[in-house]
Amino acid sequence: MASAARRGRPKIKPPRRHGPDVSIDKTWADLANNIREIQNHNAPNLSFEENHRYAYNMVLHKQGEKLYNGVTQLVAENLDHLATIHVAPTFPSGSSDQTVQSQEAEMLLKALRYIWDDHTSNMVRLGQILKYMDRVYAKSADVPEIWDAGLNLFLSHIIRTPIKEHLVTAILNQIQFERDGYVVNRSAIRGCVDVFLTLEDSNGLPVYKRDLEPSLLRESQTFYELEGVKLLECCDAPEYLRRVESRFESEDSRTHHYLSRNTASALRQILQDHLLTPHLTTVISMGSSGLDTMIDLNKTNDMARLYRLYIAVPTGLPVLKRALKDSVRRRGDAINQASAGVEGSEAATSKSAQGAQTLTLALKWVREVLDLKDLFDKIWKDAFSCDRELESTLNEAFESFVNSNERASEFISLFIDEHLRRGLKGKTDTEVEAVLDKTITVFRFITEKDVFERYYKSHLAKRLLLGRSVSDDAERGMLAKLKVECGHQFTQKLEGMFNDMKLSQDTMNSYKAHLAKTVVAPKIDISVIVMTSTFWPTSQPIATCALPLEMIQASKSFENFYLSQHSGRRLTWQPSLGNADVRVTFKARNHDLNVSTLALVILLLFEDQGPDEFFTYEEIKQATSIADNELQRHLQSLACAKFKILKKHPPGRDVNPTDSFSFNTDFSSTLQKIKISTVSSKVESGEERKETKDRIDEERRHQTEACIVRIMKDRKHMTHNDLVNEVTRQLATRFQPNPLNIKRRIENLIEREYLQRCDDRKSYNYLA
Amino acid sequence: MADVEMTKAASDDDWVKIVSEDGYSFLVQRKVANASETMQDMLDTSGNYSEAVSRTCPVQQRGVIVEKLLEYMSFKSYYANAGPKDDIPVGELMDRIPPEIVLELLLAADYQNM
Repeated sequence: MASAARRGRPKIKPPRRHGPDVSIDKTWADLANNIREIQNHNAPNLSFEENHRYAYNMVLHKQGEKLYNGVTQLVAENLDHLATIHVAPTFPSGSSDQTVQSQEAEMLLKALRYIWDDHTSNMVRLGQILKYMDRVYAKSADVPEIWDAGLNLFLSHIIRTPIKEHLVTAILNQIQFERDGYVVNRSAIRGCVDVFLTLEDSNGLPVYKRDLEPSLLRESQTFYELEGVKLLECCDAPEYLRRVESRFESEDSRTHHYLSRNTASALRQILQDHLLTPHLTTVISMGSSGLDTMIDLNKTNDMARLYRLYIAVPTGLPVLKRALKDSVRRRGDAINQASAGVEGSEAATSKSAQGAQTLTLALKWVREVLDLKDLFDKIWKDAFSCDRELESTLNEAFESFVNSNERASEFISLFIDEHLRRGLKGKTDTEVEAVLDKTITVFRFITEKDVFERYYKSHLAKRLLLGRSVSDDAERGMLAKLKVECGHQFTQKLEGMFNDMKLSQDTMNSYKAHLAKTVVAPKIDISVIVMTSTFWPTSQPIATCALPLEMIQASKSFENFYLSQHSGRRLTWQPSLGNADVRVTFKARNHDLNVSTLALVILLLFEDQGPDEFFTYEEIKQATSIADNELQRHLQSLACAKFKILKKHPPGRDVNPTDSFSFNTDFSSTLQKIKISTVSSKVESGEERKETKDRIDEERRHQTEACIVRIMKDRKHMTHNDLVNEVTRQLATRFQPNPLNIKRRIENLIEREYLQRCDDRKSYNYLA
Repeated sequence: MADVEMTKAASDDDWVKIVSEDGYSFLVQRKVANASETMQDMLDTSGNYSEAVSRTCPVQQRGVIVEKLLEYMSFKSYYANAGPKDDIPVGELMDRIPPEIVLELLLAADYQNM
């Protein structure tokens, strides 16, 4: 055909005219008929080509408007028809039975979905045959394409009063029904909600947002307000939290399965605002089931749930923090109280018993604090997902109650002392190590670290001097831990003590070598520990005593030796810290006694005495010139303790200045070597404590002054407030300085002309 | 891209019949017919008109016009996925259109929406 056309001159033939073979009205009548057939699901019997051509022809012959209006009219009619047939019969009957209501609602939703599906599939088909109209007419006439027109018609003919209201009510009814714990047909709701989401009004706002969401949220709010009150009435705290969490979950799944994702956050907000937030405090502090009880019963899951819920709302964490703090504080106070309570009642008991009791009290206190710490650490880890904020809250709470016990430092040091002392029963190194590690965590809470240092120093000194330390390694390990916590400065003196111990050993070795060379060796062996006075605690005033001749010789001999090696040093003897081995002959047999140096001095008085002779207390005091309290202590350990080397007249537990003593020749024991331990005053008595406190105050004064001078030397000029802040900051690792004291120290330094007050009366200059 | 082509080809590969007004019929693959939106709608199984059921598209044009339409539709579907650098021989195709039928062809193409 083409080749035939090419022959000769090419000539453009005009296309065949599509003349209106039939009238437009006839065309429209046919098309309208066919559209009705399509709406009756008869499309497979219709020719696409035919209908497409009808529409094409009508548009081509400028009948687009007639076609468009005709089609929309047909669609509208069909929709009205569908509404009457399918939706109207499913309107609620007004029954009050919940189940009937729910079934009716479901029917209505299904009916809507049905006509929606019907409508849309019709519109797809119409859209196909009317595509030419969309393309050519709709654009030029500025009307929506037929598909969109169909949606608008659906909106105005189906989603209207009263169908719309019935639909919204039905959906809300179904949701309410499901919230009440019944099963509903989710897909029916989903079907309807999808329609609402698809349809948009003229402003582009989905029907879902316009009609459904506001009432849905309103209903939910009312429901959950009531629900919160109802749950509070009938549930304990864990149950309440469980229910609330399941509400959160179910609302989430609801929005996921048949509501819009966008509603999820709004619903969540409602839950948080009405079910959770108003009851935060009530729930957490429920008397018999709140947080406290959960902690008591170790309900990790409940606490984890509580944490999950509470961190979701902004006011939750503070409430949780407060409750935690209160709980820790309360438990801590109970521990403090327990230790203070016993203390009060012990005033009547004897001093030694009191000491032992206080020691057990201290150990108990520390152990309980450690247990409490363990408990909360575990909860923090298992239930609170290691929340940093909560950790600091817990630490604060611990810090506050630990520091409210003013003997905390002493107790902790005693506890460490107990664990580092030799001869621990049934504890392995690793166990001790673990306990000490934990102790450090409690130590961290203490603000007055200098007080602790003081106690630790004196306890350490006792361990070292009496050779009671469990091992050098353990001591050094502990020291390393303290160093990590508080820095080099804190442990400097403690390390110095270790160093002294080592140096003394070397000194003793060379002293022995020296003795071997000399002719006149003293009669008795002595072993000396030379302590650098700044390193060691000198809390006890130096207790002098009149030493027997042999001992004076021996000590003189060492003194000469030592001073010949180190010129310019001064040795002061501290007999109260030493001990001695002495062989004593009793009636039955000889015993080797290990006694303190002072006790030996007392014993030696009885050396040349007959069996029935007495020394009165006054006589002993005069002969030995030992101070009263020390003398009482040593007499008590010789005469009233387990091994009674001396007899006291009259017998009794306490030593009075009117007592007199005689040597107990009848003493017998199965042991050859006996250690007479001095009645210890490990725990301080009230007086001693006051003294310690004074010393600490004095030390603090020095430290504060040193700190001020150090800072001012560096800055030359500073305002008062800045200076106080800086001093507080620098001293915080050791103790919590009182601003008033700082001010006093500054004034003192001004008097001593280290500082000068500036003219503005608010700042200071450093005077070189 | 190749994978998508393969799965699409499964349904694109079946054959449909195009019949001209004067009784010429052409068998083409569905993918070629889909180059015309009107034919695509006509054969669309969701619309499911009688043409879709019988897989036959009547075209109210002479055979010579239908043949040219189909030639262009084959050309179009063949080069549908050509990259920007591929050489598409549009000129050659245009040369093959006899001037006598261009107006008629133009109207037909408008009707077929391609």
